[in-house]
Amino acid sequence: MEAAKAPPPAGPEGSVPSVARRLALYQRAGGIVTPLITALIAFLMGGIIVGATGHNPLTSYRDIFRGTGLTWIGSFFKWLFLLVTVQHPTFPSSTDAALNLQQTLIITTALTLTGLAVAFAFRCGLFNIGGQGQYLVGSYVAVIVGSSWAGLAGPTHIFLAILLAALAGAAWAGIAGFLKATVGAHEVISTIMLNWIAIWGGKWMFGLGGPLHSSVSNDEFNPVSSPIVERAKLPVFWGDPVLQGLHVGFFIAIGALVVYWVVLNRTTLGYEVRAVGFNPEAARYGGISVRRSYILAMAISGTFAGIAGAVDMLGWEFQLASATIDASTIGFIGIAVALLGRNTAVGTFLGAIVFGSLYVGTSTRNLTSSFDPKLASNLTLIIQGLVVLFIGADLLVLYVWQARKKLNLSPRSRHTA
Amino acid sequence: MLLARGLESLRMEEKPVLELRGITKQFPGVLANDHIDFDLRRREVHALLGENGAGKSTLMNILYGLYKPDEGEILIGGNRLSFRSPHEAIPAGIGMVHQHFMLIPVMTVAENIVLAAEPTQGGVFLDYGAAAARVRELSRTFGLELDPRARIQDLTVGQQQRVEILKALYRNAAILILDEPTAVLTPQEATELFEIIRTLQREGTSIIFITHKLNEVLEIANRITVLRRGKKVDTVPRAGATEEGLARLMVGREVLLRIDKAPAEPGEPLLEVEGLRALDDWGLEAVKDVSLVVRAGEIVGIAGVDNNGQAELVEAITGLRRTSAGRIAVEGRDFTRANARTMLDDAHVGHIPEDRQQRGLVLDFSLAENIALHDYRKEPDSRFGWLFPHRLVARARRLLKEFDVRGGGPQTRAGALSGGNQQKVIIAREVSRNPRMLLAAQPTRGLDVGAIEFVHRRLVLERDAGRGILLVSLELDEILSLSDRILVLYEGRIVGEFPPTVTEEELGFAMTGGGKGAEAAA
Amino acid sequence: MIERAAAQVSNRSELLALALGPRRIGQLGIVLGIFAAWIAFPPAEVRTAVWSIVIAVPALACGAYAIRNDERRVGWGAGATAVLGAALGYLATLSGTTHLESVFVWSALVATTLRYATPLVFASIGGMFSERSGVVNIALEGMMLAGAFFGILGADKLHSWILGLLVAVLAGGVFAAVHAFFAIHLRADQIVGGTAINFLALGLTGYLFIQTYGDQGTPAGISEIPNVSLPGLRDVYFIGPALGNLNLMIWLSFAVIVLSYIVMFRTPIGLRIRAVGEHPRAADTVGISVYRVRYGAVVLSGMLAALGGAYLSIGFVHSFNQNMTEGRGFIALAALIFGRWRPFGAFGAALLFGFSSALAQRLQDYSQSAGTLFNALPYVLTLIAVAGVIGRSIPPAAIGRPYKKQ
Repeated sequence: MEAAKAPPPAGPEGSVPSVARRLALYQRAGGIVTPLITALIAFLMGGIIVGATGHNPLTSYRDIFRGTGLTWIGSFFKWLFLLVTVQHPTFPSSTDAALNLQQTLIITTALTLTGLAVAFAFRCGLFNIGGQGQYLVGSYVAVIVGSSWAGLAGPTHIFLAILLAALAGAAWAGIAGFLKATVGAHEVISTIMLNWIAIWGGKWMFGLGGPLHSSVSNDEFNPVSSPIVERAKLPVFWGDPVLQGLHVGFFIAIGALVVYWVVLNRTTLGYEVRAVGFNPEAARYGGISVRRSYILAMAISGTFAGIAGAVDMLGWEFQLASATIDASTIGFIGIAVALLGRNTAVGTFLGAIVFGSLYVGTSTRNLTSSFDPKLASNLTLIIQGLVVLFIGADLLVLYVWQARKKLNLSPRSRHTA
Repeated sequence: MLLARGLESLRMEEKPVLELRGITKQFPGVLANDHIDFDLRRREVHALLGENGAGKSTLMNILYGLYKPDEGEILIGGNRLSFRSPHEAIPAGIGMVHQHFMLIPVMTVAENIVLAAEPTQGGVFLDYGAAAARVRELSRTFGLELDPRARIQDLTVGQQQRVEILKALYRNAAILILDEPTAVLTPQEATELFEIIRTLQREGTSIIFITHKLNEVLEIANRITVLRRGKKVDTVPRAGATEEGLARLMVGREVLLRIDKAPAEPGEPLLEVEGLRALDDWGLEAVKDVSLVVRAGEIVGIAGVDNNGQAELVEAITGLRRTSAGRIAVEGRDFTRANARTMLDDAHVGHIPEDRQQRGLVLDFSLAENIALHDYRKEPDSRFGWLFPHRLVARARRLLKEFDVRGGGPQTRAGALSGGNQQKVIIAREVSRNPRMLLAAQPTRGLDVGAIEFVHRRLVLERDAGRGILLVSLELDEILSLSDRILVLYEGRIVGEFPPTVTEEELGFAMTGGGKGAEAAA
Repeated sequence: MIERAAAQVSNRSELLALALGPRRIGQLGIVLGIFAAWIAFPPAEVRTAVWSIVIAVPALACGAYAIRNDERRVGWGAGATAVLGAALGYLATLSGTTHLESVFVWSALVATTLRYATPLVFASIGGMFSERSGVVNIALEGMMLAGAFFGILGADKLHSWILGLLVAVLAGGVFAAVHAFFAIHLRADQIVGGTAINFLALGLTGYLFIQTYGDQGTPAGISEIPNVSLPGLRDVYFIGPALGNLNLMIWLSFAVIVLSYIVMFRTPIGLRIRAVGEHPRAADTVGISVYRVRYGAVVLSGMLAALGGAYLSIGFVHSFNQNMTEGRGFIALAALIFGRWRPFGAFGAALLFGFSSALAQRLQDYSQSAGTLFNALPYVLTLIAVAGVIGRSIPPAAIGRPYKKQ
């Protein structure tokens, strides 16, 4: 008798659709309507919670919306109208709404980038939960570079800080990609671990007695890094630099969206990433190195997140505090952003605006009403959770749209008899 | 023989233990079962014979409660029953040995057997001792040697099948369904299985034996029911049945369909494989010392029972699987350690893979993108890493027309096409790259008649265009009608070479490890 | 052939090796490595690093031998402990004895280790049930947090820690049921679903916390899970201060480990759970309801994780604040993987991670930054474990795969 043969792997349910496949399907099912409805349901359920706890959901949402500064757009159009009718009004940029909108767009900038970090990996069939860690590593490097080498010229300094932060993010994510490609370690587990290593590593480095703790500050309760030097700060193009105006990082994020789209749809690398994301077996058959794609996709993901960290540091934070490392959630929200945006460039941007607005609209600084900002910021988390939950359940959506028969999720069932 | 005759006469008086009446099952696009009647007598081996796709497995899955019939009824011992799940079929005395074993590799024989019907101590704790004892007892009764404490992953396929049989017997199965039980077995194992079946029969079990192999039917069955395209054709007793007669019932035509083709004019050797060895996914040697040559302008068919190293051989040649020894050369150049891309681009080897949906196509890609799967890195598809989608589309449009792909344009998602059209897309892609060698692995699996004909004609056309074609198929029909030379692969070895005039019997003999083929190879 | 065999057995150490087997040798290496570090700390406090290094060398050799003989996990373990042992021994000799004695009060360290390990034990045992049945549970963090909040809420409003635990278990079960519904019935991506549950739990507990307690935080005097003081043990050397006055939940966690082992490996229920996680189709064909088993396992996992959380709030810290679990759910997940999806393995890993937390806490008095760094240890170890350097942790075969009935 011949040597023992191991049994074949578990039955026909063996292949699970990747998130890339799921979201592609999801998009075919209802285009932009499905995420809109998903978000709407999430807001509705959030409203029910607000109502159930004795607050008025309508006024609460109204106040949050005001806090986002999106009302500025209305006053902008009014200004345009007045301008056309030759009345020479003042540009509505110093109003509260403008200040709030600048805040919203600052957060949108970072969220766009961390959203892309998650989305790009998704397109390769990988779940990058490590956006937070990559974001942090990027911000560490940015703050280190930005606070030293004071002799460099501004643009060079900024460029260098962002570049090195991007590389750091790429390397941090690349570890997970490398482990996936070489030993098959699941990227979800390794990126979760890398997140916490980044968090504790950062708290050690910038904490009391840590090697990068600021030599100037002596705040024992919230130790901080050295500040970014003046010339390495990103220029503000809208609003007042002192009042955290919108910095040019916004354009970096827009550029990143374009790069994301172009890389995925107009380069052979993107072709490979998408093929691997949809079907690694077919990609391998096509001559694509699946391992190389995994490593590259993770590294590119990490690049986006690393840049996000740099942009936040150089754009408005200017200093890294231990407390910030703990409290930061920009990388985590990226998951919700990417899912709501169904991994598309435009969708990710819209998702970033939604969550950026929520983030800012519920912040202590911007929410001025009877609705406690602390409650509101937790409401944000709830909505975020609901959005992720519903979008993860593509079946639910498909049931709703009754499109299940038209679009088969699983490979066509074969009936051999 | 005497015993068998005695049993047969005994059986005539008995009522059937099982009756299926008018079973009908519709799947999207396929009428899998069309008013099928079937009955099974006590201590009988009733063979269910039919080609792939005739509806055999569907019928049995309905009996076992896995599918629900659209129409028809099931009677067991004269009582009408309907099963919503195996959970309900098992207590009714039905056991099934699936073609793909339902065993848990990391667990022991005893654990697998008693699962969901475990003996306990005090109603709470698993009684491993009792489980092992019961397994040993059953093994003895039915002559199935097994160590209850062995892990499934350490057993041979034949032993695993015995575990499956014991699993059913442990649940007091009076009716045992064996779904293509010999498909994965070696001939020795198959012989042993037949012994086991005879023992079971003596002990009072009735058996439904699903197969598409004529010789097996004649060896083991008492009666034979033939299905064809979802319909029951006839039920005949073994006495008087012949292979020819059964074959006629099964395929519904007197002679095998043969493609019109001119005799081959083989040219220079294109693919030369020498002493090739490769491991399967579990690290066991699946390809053992295979040597073969394919010349320009000929179709070499590789016949064999499933799981005899075909998949691994194809993957080794196409660079998708690492070889452990041997040499692969194309047009005299060595490509032994080449990766998939080198085989595609430098060796000019085209590959129509066995699994269209899992390997041949990216179902979520458009047809244009799928057609570019091998060439997206080359001009004109791209330059310096920059992709030109409109060029992909233009090429796809041309090819889709040339290969008569219906059901969509270049921007259509591949998953939206029918199986036959998907296969056309793959063939279009592979052929349009103008390969010297073409490997076709089960190129017509699951296709309808029209699509099969298209694929066959195309392969002959490509042969006549001077390509070398290596055809791997489980369908003897296909091998016989297309090949100019036939090699038989058995347990990872080439055990014989035959001209296309060989009879099915001779081929079947070699495929199961018998005959002069094996001697010649030894 | 014979000559080679003879040459192999020629020296005595090889004989010893053959007698013991590479696995035992590797374990011996680990013990030696720990010993190398131990002698430098109180109470032994050898004030020179020489001895640590002398002992670490054979430990390293044992590790190398084990690795060469395919006992990679133990071998690497021995190698790592040897190097770490020598390094720690050396570092210990650098610092003053008073410092050492203030940090390394072993009995107190044991007690603290258990305190930190207990929430991890509950959650990782919970995770084991879920993942053994084939459902990935990265939502342990959220379920734990839910347990922590609802535990204290229940204990406060109902004036009883027992009812508090009950409320916590209920809340954990509800969150888990949501995860189960999406993972099992809707066949959603289990990681996406788990992430969502984590967000939801964080938001919901935070919201209700602020709503209920406002800026003041939880009041003092909420009913607490009592400590079990063992009067007979109080004055016994080492055991007294280490085990004499531990929280009830710590003892309960020991029971949970043993019980979960019995359930998982000695009862039909466990066999079925494992079968469903390895090969659901096979389980289905013998009549096991895959859905029911998975629902049960996932909901149970949520309840256990919630117990861990409740211990945290009403057994350990005696208060609640937003996001108080701070990633402990993920450490529990790490312990589960590091412990190879087995109860005692997870327990061992939880103890190791608990020890690193305990050390981190005690080191704060001594060196703030060194303590902080110790908190990263569980994650680093788990990363190494999944990388397969020290023997791969292989998950259940069907994990993460939604099951679809035919």
